[in-house]
Amino acid sequence: MGATVLETIPASELKHVGKKTDRIDSKVKVTGQATYVSDMIVPGMLYARVKTSPHARARIVKIDTSKAEALTGVRAIVTGDELDYRLGLYVVDKAILAKGEVRHYGEAVAAVAADTLEIAQRAIELIDVEYEELEPVLHPMEALKEDAPLVHPKLGDYSYMEAAFTPKPGTNIANHTRLRKGDTEKAFEECEWVIERQYTNPSVQHVPMETHVAIVQWGHGDEITIWSSAQSPFTVRNLFCVAFGLSHQQVRVIVPYVGGGFGGKAGIGIEPLVAVLSRKAGGRPVKLTATREEEFSLLPCRSQLTYNIKTGVSKDGKIQAQELTMYWDAGAYADYAVNVTRASGYSAGGPYDIPNAKVDAYTIYTNKPYGTAYRGFGHVEFFWGLERHMDLIANAIGMEPFEFRLRNALRPGSTTLTGEKITAHTGNITACLKRAAEGIGYGTLSDAEGAREKRTGMKVGKAVVALHKAPAMPPFTATTVILKMNEDGTVVANLSLVDYGQGTYTSIQQIVAERLGFPADRIKVAWDSDTDRDPYDWQTVASKGLLLSGNAAILAAEDLLANAYDVASQALRANKVDLAHDADRIYVRHHPDSFVTFRQLAIGYAFPNGNAIGGPLVGVGRYIAQGLTHLNKETGQGLPAIDWTYGAHGLTVEVDQETGEYNVLKVVSVFDVGKVINPDEVRGQAIGGMLQGLGTAVCEGYIYDQKGHLLNPSFTDNKIPTALDLPLEVEAIAIETPQIDGPYGARGVGEHSMIGVAAALGNAIQRASGAELTHMPIRYEDVWRAIQKREPVDNWITKSPFGSCRSAPEIQKHDC
Amino acid sequence: MLHQFSYAAPTTMDALLSLLSEHGERAAVFSGGTDLLVGVRAGIARPSIVVDLKKIPELSELSFDEAEGLSIGACATVNDLVDHPAVGKHYSILAVAGAELATYQLRNRATVVGNIVTASPCGDMSSPLLCLGATVELRSVRGERTLALREFITGVKKTQIAPDEVVSRIIVPVDRIDAVGGYKKLKRIKGHDLGVVAVAMIRSGQTLRTAISSAAPTPVLLPDFPVDASVEAIQAKAQESISPIDDVRCTKEYRRFMVDVFIDRLLQEIRS
Amino acid sequence: MIRIQLTINGQQFEREVSEHKTLLHFLREDVGLTGTKEGCGAGECGACTIIMNGRSVNSCLVLAAEADGAVIETIEGVAVDGELSKLQQSFHDHHAVQCGFCTPGMIMSATDLLRRNPHPSREEIQHGIEGNFCRCTGYEQIIEAVAAVAATAAVAATKDGGDRA
Ligand SMILES: Cc1cc2nc3c(=O)[nH]c(=O)nc-3n(C[C@@H](O)[C@@H](O)[C@H](O)COP(=O)(O)OP(=O)(O)OC[C@H]3O[C@@H](n4cnc5c(N)ncnc54)[C@H](O)[C@@H]3O)c2cc1C
Ligand code: FES
Ligand code: FES
Repeated sequence: MGATVLETIPASELKHVGKKTDRIDSKVKVTGQATYVSDMIVPGMLYARVKTSPHARARIVKIDTSKAEALTGVRAIVTGDELDYRLGLYVVDKAILAKGEVRHYGEAVAAVAADTLEIAQRAIELIDVEYEELEPVLHPMEALKEDAPLVHPKLGDYSYMEAAFTPKPGTNIANHTRLRKGDTEKAFEECEWVIERQYTNPSVQHVPMETHVAIVQWGHGDEITIWSSAQSPFTVRNLFCVAFGLSHQQVRVIVPYVGGGFGGKAGIGIEPLVAVLSRKAGGRPVKLTATREEEFSLLPCRSQLTYNIKTGVSKDGKIQAQELTMYWDAGAYADYAVNVTRASGYSAGGPYDIPNAKVDAYTIYTNKPYGTAYRGFGHVEFFWGLERHMDLIANAIGMEPFEFRLRNALRPGSTTLTGEKITAHTGNITACLKRAAEGIGYGTLSDAEGAREKRTGMKVGKAVVALHKAPAMPPFTATTVILKMNEDGTVVANLSLVDYGQGTYTSIQQIVAERLGFPADRIKVAWDSDTDRDPYDWQTVASKGLLLSGNAAILAAEDLLANAYDVASQALRANKVDLAHDADRIYVRHHPDSFVTFRQLAIGYAFPNGNAIGGPLVGVGRYIAQGLTHLNKETGQGLPAIDWTYGAHGLTVEVDQETGEYNVLKVVSVFDVGKVINPDEVRGQAIGGMLQGLGTAVCEGYIYDQKGHLLNPSFTDNKIPTALDLPLEVEAIAIETPQIDGPYGARGVGEHSMIGVAAALGNAIQRASGAELTHMPIRYEDVWRAIQKREPVDNWITKSPFGSCRSAPEIQKHDC
Repeated sequence: MLHQFSYAAPTTMDALLSLLSEHGERAAVFSGGTDLLVGVRAGIARPSIVVDLKKIPELSELSFDEAEGLSIGACATVNDLVDHPAVGKHYSILAVAGAELATYQLRNRATVVGNIVTASPCGDMSSPLLCLGATVELRSVRGERTLALREFITGVKKTQIAPDEVVSRIIVPVDRIDAVGGYKKLKRIKGHDLGVVAVAMIRSGQTLRTAISSAAPTPVLLPDFPVDASVEAIQAKAQESISPIDDVRCTKEYRRFMVDVFIDRLLQEIRS
Repeated sequence: MIRIQLTINGQQFEREVSEHKTLLHFLREDVGLTGTKEGCGAGECGACTIIMNGRSVNSCLVLAAEADGAVIETIEGVAVDGELSKLQQSFHDHHAVQCGFCTPGMIMSATDLLRRNPHPSREEIQHGIEGNFCRCTGYEQIIEAVAAVAATAAVAATKDGGDRA
């Protein structure tokens, strides 16, 4: 039996894959029995609270902890001065607690561990911090100016991942990603139209319902155990060990049920801080649970983006060239923002054929809470501008926007911005667009919609947008799945990819059951990832989980069968090639009565006389991304994408022309997922992500005052969608163009549903009302302002008009 | 709660009033707790004793009689109000506005009186109650007094209440049980949200009465207009009477605009 | 400290409790019923929803002290003798659960809704769970799960006249 990932099985023969299946974790969740880190109490545990900065930028003159120390029940206090460690995913720029200077509102400056949360809180209140306020740099464009204060004057001393990133010491630029394809200058000159505009969006918060929480015990002999609400146990372990100079052997990370992550828990977070508290408290375990308010500013958010798009279009409506400039506001630390910059840089043009492109994407430090990964990894943000721009161009050149998209969509033979050639099995963006259009009845009003307009006095508008995304990951991203057969022939799967709600474990169960030919209920995918016991996985991010771990699961199943066949062939004294199996037995093909059961093989086969062979059955599946390369740092050329998932949203809105209020009537989301492994989970990802995308589009976003204080760090003024905010009708459609190297043809879809929703809304609103919007979220007042052609105001406190809903698009017309 | 306090649950009015008289400013009256406990958690309220009203049976009363009108006891919740048959029949604007307040679960706790005492400019109960001419009954060891709701609220989260006083009930008179009208609240999402700006309007007999929330430090009650008043006249009066601000929820410009829109739309509804 | 007596999921409890402790923290920390979650502590998210004296409330804004004499239902009491309630089963069947952190509160709100209104419309369901944030599912499958119970309950109610939602 050779291990084969790529074998294709006709859909009609599949028993588990693509079929309706029970979710394996819902019963433990509907009964309240699933244990999350926030529920856990470890014997001897202390409780931590954090003192945070009230300023965006200030010098720490003095921290007086004496009063706090005097409080009974306080077991440890730490401040930045005593800690000499730096953390960073890609640029090692962050201290565990601010040292010397605070760089954003809400940054941790001191922490306490005490017998109770109340005592810890009182101690925090008793810590006096003397600050000397410094002028913060808040806007990324200001931060680029030559005389701007430097957020990290020592940027040149920091280590960073050189293969992928380019920091600019002496500036606030944490990274500059460049991409050059063809010759944009020349192409622009030959174009009929050159259209340029800038689009913006603010930082937003992930809002996992379980806030960040970790328990850490820094045990004797520097043996450390970390329980964390995290997406990536191995990344937590690795970065932790690097920061503290520890061996990987010494650190164990355990991740039980996780109450949502969305990227906010992708890397390392509060674990090092809790660890130093535990160490200082003599090795007692310490728990830190972020409050909802802390989730907004102590912990990272999604970066703000200013996106400048300049597009050249030839007479026939074909995009010839694009100059794409992204200004990513990283906030105070680079974290994932540099990689968001890189990943959105190489995908910045969308699923369109663009022969000439020039991308410059900058990650810029400012004195604000820092940005990290968030579902879509930059694509939600830049697709806002990109797909608004597609409509703008279409309107400017007098072409129907949907036709304009089809005209320019990637097709087999096109090359991406990085020079990757699109083939027939990459996925079908045209089909996605057409299904989305069909789903909302694009281009016409149904009778019901017409009647609705009459009844409500509102205007209905429809739009269709396209989207794409590839996993943003190192070219050598790898994972493992181990299958272990129990004595009774049931199987346990171990992997450290974390299922924090997205349903991957259920899909892994289906894939293993399919490949082993076992009933699904004989496969258990074990919860609680544990770096000491589970095999390696890089991170649970990037919509790569199912593809990589699914392949590893197939290989593990093949391996387990191969091992079983080995033993069976000896037990049955038959050639391996003559053996076959069903759910219970391995038998000789032409003598089916000659068989051994899996139960007999599970822990090793014993002959009647007691002699035994084999041993406990396991299967190991290892998978590593294939054929990817680093990108050339000058030209951005190379192969970054293990797969591209294409999609489209069709959206119908009704707008009150007088007030700017609107209702989203229908959203149809279509994704080319390659192969549906579990229809209900695909639907859950599609609709869940779509509504999260609407949150970003409608109401979410950080609001600061002029001094960089975050004014809406809670649900009171940072609303997220409720059940009433669901569009009247939602539909999720899967298209299946198999991914040749995906498990059963599948590719990822975890993030895609969120991408492009905002632009679909903006475009539909514009069709209905004429409101030209370049900034999201699209609040009712923004629509009203745009309809009324009033001065746009992005931030009602600072009155800053970042986005320019007013300015006419700059349209150059060349003589041909 | 990270802030510590002690808890008392008197079972009689007398016991309550003497507790309040004894502790004065250090005591916080506790009814639904949906403002109080949020305030304590945020470190805004730091009472040393919390005095629960809910064990005093008479304070839970919610009743209607043709002589006095609607009596809303201190512990009557917003859901009690919304579900009360007499409210639906005689004071439907209260049911409409009540259903706009927070979420079903919060309305199971939040009281009408608590909403008024909180005196937030965006409180959903104040404008409709102002339209209906409600009065507030206050009790203390010093005695009892009744104030018009109009006078009771004096500023952002400020009222006439003295530290030893409790609001025992709100009385909505009978003279407007014929009222028809509505309540329009601008929110940022379709789900629960504080009012960004809101207008209540009723027609009773030959008069129109309008009150506006979230557009000034206190809810604003406009003078009565005759039923046939022009929309422009009411809008002009409204614009003159409000003083909205820019905040994280919206600009004053949009608040002013939406007040006009709501007045226009409410008037059309009332007249149709 | 104050002494309270209360019924939780049909069992009697008598405890000393800090006067400033919320019912949410009492349930989670003192009684060990961690099924009820904390998502904000401020009444906004609904993760802490329980049923107190027959009404669904946000337990983060209730004091344990005032629950003296109260009858409390939490997620742990919804399944009886190992059998999921119809609503729990329906959440399972409709894939209405992703990370699961909102699920206990969501089920308590929906349970209360179905008791008050056994046949809610889609809009009534949306209103009934408006106070329960779910960041994962987009609510659609949750609404379908509740609606399915409402539909089967309608059939069952005509047969034997009453049902456990
Ligand atoms: C998530 C959330 C959403 C909300 N949404 C809305 C909304 O949409 N619209 C809205 O209007 N409100 C909203 N609120 C606030 C609303 O719940 C309260 O205003 C509520 O009506 C207050 O009633 P309570 O009984 O809970 O008051 P409590 O919190 O018990 O008391 C409020 C204040 O009044 C005092 N007090 C209470 N009763 C008396 C009395 N009888 N005599 C003297 N003093 C008293 C208390 O000491 C306290 O200072 C929301 C609150 C939350 C937490
Ligand atoms: S924790 Fe109670 S509502 Fe959020
Ligand atoms: S399932 Fe994650 S918040 Fe609802």
